Amino acid sequence: MMAWSSLIEILRLPGRLLRMAAAALWAYKLRSAFVVCGVALGIASLTIIVAAVDGAQRKALEIVSFFGPDAAFVLGGDIRSRAVGQRNLTLSWDDTRAIRQSLPGAYLVVPMRAKSGLTAHYLENQREIPIVVGTAANYAEAWNWPLSEGRDLATEDVEHGAKVCLIGDTAARELFGNASPIGRTLFLDRVPLQVIGRLAYRGLSGGGGSIDDRIILPITTLTQRFNMSRKYFRALRVKFRDAANMPANIEGLRSLLRHQHRLGPGDKDDFTILTADEILKFLSMLKGGLVIFLGVTALVAVVVGGFVLANLFYLSVAERTVEIGLKMALGAKKRAILLQILVEAVVLTLLGALLGMALGMAMGQLLERLGVLQILFSWKVFFLSLAAAVAIGVLFGLKPARQAAALDPIAALKGL
Amino acid sequence: MNGPGALIALEEITRSYRQGEQTIPVLRGISLTIERGEFVALQGPSGSGKSTLLHILGLLDRPSGGRYRLLGDDVAGLPDDRLSELRNRTLGFLFQSFYLVPYVSALENVILPGLYGPTPGRVLRERAEQLLTQVGLGDRLHFRPNQLSGGQQQRVALARALINDPQLLLADEPTGQLDSTTSVEILELLATIHAQGRTIVLVTHDEATAACAQRRIVLHDGLVVTD
Repeated sequence: MMAWSSLIEILRLPGRLLRMAAAALWAYKLRSAFVVCGVALGIASLTIIVAAVDGAQRKALEIVSFFGPDAAFVLGGDIRSRAVGQRNLTLSWDDTRAIRQSLPGAYLVVPMRAKSGLTAHYLENQREIPIVVGTAANYAEAWNWPLSEGRDLATEDVEHGAKVCLIGDTAARELFGNASPIGRTLFLDRVPLQVIGRLAYRGLSGGGGSIDDRIILPITTLTQRFNMSRKYFRALRVKFRDAANMPANIEGLRSLLRHQHRLGPGDKDDFTILTADEILKFLSMLKGGLVIFLGVTALVAVVVGGFVLANLFYLSVAERTVEIGLKMALGAKKRAILLQILVEAVVLTLLGALLGMALGMAMGQLLERLGVLQILFSWKVFFLSLAAAVAIGVLFGLKPARQAAALDPIAALKGL
Repeated sequence: MNGPGALIALEEITRSYRQGEQTIPVLRGISLTIERGEFVALQGPSGSGKSTLLHILGLLDRPSGGRYRLLGDDVAGLPDDRLSELRNRTLGFLFQSFYLVPYVSALENVILPGLYGPTPGRVLRERAEQLLTQVGLGDRLHFRPNQLSGGQQQRVALARALINDPQLLLADEPTGQLDSTTSVEILELLATIHAQGRTIVLVTHDEATAACAQRRIVLHDGLVVTD
């Protein structure tokens, strides 16, 4: 009987303390507001960090799915030793032929060259094309990039250096408006090119920025008409039949290229092979850096919020000594006093968490609009923030709460 | 547990404080019994130890020596939590400076001790309204303490002391901060409460206040000089 009633008491007390806490916090509004703001800033940065890391994760997966798990991308030169654009041009038509003929499992080999700074015209419309890609047949298939209309580049187009091109969705929209670009002729600098295919909207690229403003033409046409070296490519795209066996495929490709380039056993590769795995590794490295940097920032912000809370609660306990002594005299156990202060702290940190999340989302929107970060909000972010808030409240509220619970009722009633 | 016999039985209660290397005795051996239904005034000049004795009776302080039996039970060995429960269920307190929580209404101040006990909230609310009506504040249930006069605040505190239906009411100079008219009102209320069968122990240094009680105990230098 005794145990039963004290159980009910224990279960009922937190609800009653919550209502007391609400009254007390409302009575000391300014102090409460300071705690809420202090915690909100910490939670806001935490929110952004988790959302940014999730966003980076999603972006990495998108990039990898675009890249394709069954493909390799071979760059001339060693990217670790030279910046983009200054890599050695080491890949040649001979390499392409050799891979096609003697690498088992490779069913598509598409060489690429690129030229930047060209301008496309159609009637009175004109547009800078950041990257013009010269490539071989089956570009769209090699890049898992569907055509929204028209056809892909064919072997004959490449063999004859045909004046045809594929066009990215954004570029097509800007040059041709809503009309279909298929069959129309645009001018790339002074070279007329007939549009044969339009690539579906993609909206992302590995390096940030759009890839929907590209124009793609046969590599032969690019080198002949725009006066570029005809022997080397910047890159090779290779697709394999068996995606499950990528490590072996890549090793085969590597030894074939080393043989082609007559590299001795001690020489370094003069090319770089990228795969989805490699990209994932690179991205997760990047993400790791991001997590550490932002994590330290968030931790500092959260700890600062916690110290604000702890200090204001010391002040609160000191200021409300008489009230605490009174409650003890009226029969509040030490546990009830401790719990009351903790409940007050946690109520404030939870309010801080809600405010912080709103703040974080607003800041996240801003960062995303500025193109700094991709932000992904989720229930995970929500519950993580709430959990962090409870942890701050309990962790930093505990010492002031213990101090309150340890007061001697007689001295406390005298305000000592 | 609630066997027959005295409500309070003190045997040779001592209490001393340590100040640096010195030990200062405040109570030097107090023995007395208080029966159910008594109205006792504890008198004495300041420094006589009457407040200390009240704190010990109220389980806010533990004696240095001697034996204190409340309702027949020796309270010396009880843990703090059990003392809190006893304070909550069997004792009511009235203080000189009222000690109301400033930011809640009269009604919520009266309910406060009930919140630490087992009584359901609805019952507490009804009882608090009744008690406030009884002390003449039925029309001021939702006033804040700073909207009430000193006498009214002490009446709220009196209602609060009765919310858990205690057997013993302990009052520490309850009229010390009130003028003579309001003092009389409070003392009349105490007399009514006593007439309803409750035991009251009242600390005062004022003769007029002590005159309300049936029994006077005078302390001097930590000893009972008159009973």
